[in-house]
Amino acid sequence: MSERLERLINLTATLLATRRPLTLDELADRLEPGYPDDLAARRRQFERDKETLRELGVPITVETTDSFGGEQGYRIRPDDYYLPDPGLDPAERAALHLAVTAVEVGGFDPLDALRKLGGAEGEGAGQAVATFELTPHLGDCFEAVTRRSVLEFSYRDEPRRLEPYGILHRFGHWYVVGRDRDRDAPRAFRIDRLDGPPDLGPRDAFTAPADVDPTDYLSSDPLTYGDDQPVRAHVLIDAARASLVTGALGDDAVVEQRDDGAVVVALDVVNRDAFRAFVLDLLDHAEVLDPPELRAEVVDWLRALAAPGSAG
Amino acid sequence: MSPRPLAGPRLARVLAIVPYVLAHPGTTIAELAERFRVSPREIEQDLELLPMCGLPPYTADRLIDVWVDDEGAVDIRLAEYFERPLRLTPAEGVALVAAARALLAVPGADTDSPLGTAVDKLEAVVGVSGRLAIDVGDAAHLTAIRDAIEAHERVEIDYYSYARDEMTTRRVDPARVFHALGAWYLDAWCHRASGERLFRVDRVQAVRATGETFTPREVVASDDADGALTGLVYHPRPGDRRVTLELGATQAWVADELPLDSRVDGPDGSVRVTLAVSEDAFLERLLLRLGPEAEVVEPVEAAALRTAAAQRLLARYGS
Repeated sequence: MSERLERLINLTATLLATRRPLTLDELADRLEPGYPDDLAARRRQFERDKETLRELGVPITVETTDSFGGEQGYRIRPDDYYLPDPGLDPAERAALHLAVTAVEVGGFDPLDALRKLGGAEGEGAGQAVATFELTPHLGDCFEAVTRRSVLEFSYRDEPRRLEPYGILHRFGHWYVVGRDRDRDAPRAFRIDRLDGPPDLGPRDAFTAPADVDPTDYLSSDPLTYGDDQPVRAHVLIDAARASLVTGALGDDAVVEQRDDGAVVVALDVVNRDAFRAFVLDLLDHAEVLDPPELRAEVVDWLRALAAPGSAG
Repeated sequence: MSPRPLAGPRLARVLAIVPYVLAHPGTTIAELAERFRVSPREIEQDLELLPMCGLPPYTADRLIDVWVDDEGAVDIRLAEYFERPLRLTPAEGVALVAAARALLAVPGADTDSPLGTAVDKLEAVVGVSGRLAIDVGDAAHLTAIRDAIEAHERVEIDYYSYARDEMTTRRVDPARVFHALGAWYLDAWCHRASGERLFRVDRVQAVRATGETFTPREVVASDDADGALTGLVYHPRPGDRRVTLELGATQAWVADELPLDSRVDGPDGSVRVTLAVSEDAFLERLLLRLGPEAEVVEPVEAAALRTAAAQRLLARYGS
């Protein structure tokens, strides 16, 4: 164990200190504790070491060396390895320590990151005030934002090319937001709905607008997601659910307050499916008043369900 | 393949400790143990390893020089290539920034604080300044509830139960609020249920003072966030009714959103799912939302419930 650890430290140091890529033969000649003499075993051990370093995030570059035969050479570019000093003071380190103990991020041990920033200062929080889960591909999307790489991925079986401007967490989900290259329009994609791992294009492939705010890319009201022609609808909510609905939509949505405690709310519908779900969720406490075609849509939907002997 | 001890975590620690000591010569072993959250013995073991490491050809002038004095003060030389820690991985970067941004987004948080400046600095070195946003939302009565927790005040709440579609009034001793799965939750002792209950804060319709205070209960050791989280989502019980539905491709979202007992994918994008449902109101809404294209395979009572619910709603429309 400690022999392997020594070799891993020495391998890191050697690859970091070298000014030119080193081939596996050169590494085997120099490193202590050394690699096995048997070539197949040597390659296996080296690949295992490389994998361990890769998991830790140590960036090993593979380059073709100039020597004849064009062998593969390895090195660690200092710029890829060294964390620029963020210049945190003790109060800021203590605040970060508090943050990572007050906010649990699932599957993430904050100590590894804190140690890189100079260790854990002060006491952490006793209890979590918030918990988040990390979604697969979130790290890839985040890296694409930091590198300004175009993300290519499949989303609901459609190929997409996105200039990722930022990451947003809203309604318990992670979104990557930016400019959809093919549609030339702002878009937000739920990261857990990506069909598979995204591909990251080359660095610095685009310039994001200077004043990007990821929250602008996704409305805080799911009812407003959609591309349908906007229609203003009025819905009557009876007294029993009036406070629930106005609490969710805001007082501004109320256009009429009735004597019996019922309210009429106005909604700009751009997604008819979401609108219908909103109305049906309230069961018999809500009624679409107008426009007539939206009212008729709900009535037709209910008739199909209410008819004896209907499908199903 | 035989199991082997993990070299990774220890290597990560060594690669963080060395730069720290290089920047802060004379730091003691006790201070390092406190700062890196490991035992002094582990720090010593890490330090004992270093004099064996360095650059080829591993002569005295190429090996890392570690010096510990009688007071435990540490000095490291000949390790300039480890002068800075390793960069944060993308996962570390996102988790760290997210945790800080989430805490700053909590209603009432002071953004003009050390945490605010720390996360600005961190985002700058990672290259994502202002590019990661966390919306934890707000809820009308969140502040009132937090005040009651602070002052140990018993309160009366009007609470809407979504699963039962029913409004209730209950007296509760609020213990804490927390954010998870995109919503704020209240963990409280409920006098109506005579037990600890979780409430979604956005479904609290009113908070009224009772004039009474309470003595906070001892926090049980098992009452950690994980334990609380398991209470947030519906966990089917063996006795709960099971419903089997045949869904078209456009209704397959059910399979993504709800816990299923089983799922069989058809060749045409259709999917047959079986799920547990405890409350009628929940099933009514699910079936109404799915619409006529969804087929209720069994039980027949579920199909009857759907027909009755649709007729009830239609009555509002005079048809």
